[in-house]
Amino acid sequence: EDAERGASADLAVVEARRRMLDEWLAWRSSVEAEVEEERLGRGLPANPVEGLISQPDSEEEQQIIE
Amino acid sequence: MLFNPDGDLLFSVSKDQQICVWYSHNGERLGTYKGHQGAIWTVDVDPTSTMIASGSADNTMRLWEIKTGRLLKTWDFPTAVKRVEFSPDGRQLLGVTEKRMGHLGTIVVLPIVLDVEAEQSDERDLTIVCDESKATVAGWSYLSKYIIAGHEDGSVSQYDAKVTDLQWSQDRTYFITSSKDKTARLLAARDLELLKTYPADTPLNSACITPKKDYVILGGGQAAMDVTTTAARQGKFEARFYHKIFEDEIGRVRGHFGPLNTVAADPIGKSYASGGEDGYVRVHHFDKGYFDFMYEVERERQNRL
Repeated sequence: EDAERGASADLAVVEARRRMLDEWLAWRSSVEAEVEEERLGRGLPANPVEGLISQPDSEEEQQIIE
Repeated sequence: MLFNPDGDLLFSVSKDQQICVWYSHNGERLGTYKGHQGAIWTVDVDPTSTMIASGSADNTMRLWEIKTGRLLKTWDFPTAVKRVEFSPDGRQLLGVTEKRMGHLGTIVVLPIVLDVEAEQSDERDLTIVCDESKATVAGWSYLSKYIIAGHEDGSVSQYDAKVTDLQWSQDRTYFITSSKDKTARLLAARDLELLKTYPADTPLNSACITPKKDYVILGGGQAAMDVTTTAARQGKFEARFYHKIFEDEIGRVRGHFGPLNTVAADPIGKSYASGGEDGYVRVHHFDKGYFDFMYEVERERQNRL
């Protein structure tokens, strides 16, 4: 019976986490959609610094320091 | 004008550049505090009736010893100081500075040592810039918790006086704050909705959000003056990792010998850095376990996709 109670408590925790994850992802997608809509509405580039600095043309020119 | 907490003294300020203190029971003048070079707008007395603070059109805020009239400290500002107020615990002093061409109105908070022989700090605890409508008045709430400000346009605003850090998510749609009240909070940028709360067991100085993994990192510890030798052993000086979504503490990283003043997340997600009161900056690289760790429900969702 104790084990059963423990298992149902665990289940409740997992359920709560599942709900938190769902809520978080739903919130993220609503915010992302809202920001995207506003960005397009204002005619802004996806990268806010676009055009401000020259980007290397090819991947070879980009140096990645690990 | 202002009474001290016992009601036996009355302080008055005016445009004649001196502060007067009077015995309230008979109207006799006890003395004056001289030094300001302009009209004095405001005066406040600390909760122990040891010191008074004043703000003036000469762009200074000054601290005086009540008993002797001695000037203890002068803080300079770019504009006039229209209001000063000690916090209820006497450990902080706020000043409201005037808006003038090229300068926005601000509310500054300075740490105060309630000892007339102590050196007072120039370093501010907090600066609030009022870019919409300048603050005309401001004061402290119960427990020195909030600063309430009244603005020129008639609005009243509330500031959390204990927030020590604010760092953004990568897309700047939400941010994390750390607070002396031992909690970090995740808030939405669009409406300041409180999204998550991360409780800790020590005052927090800094918090950041990690990219790649849904974690937040908090750093803090008691101020040096309050530290006991057991604090280090109790692990108060560790960086704490919490799950951003589930609000659980998932791990701690030791290393510093004093409070953590700042934490920073590498934008690539491979490391983080912490700066401590002990003078060290430590950069930590995450290992495989950090990237592999997943909650059951996260794995479940990943498998579904």
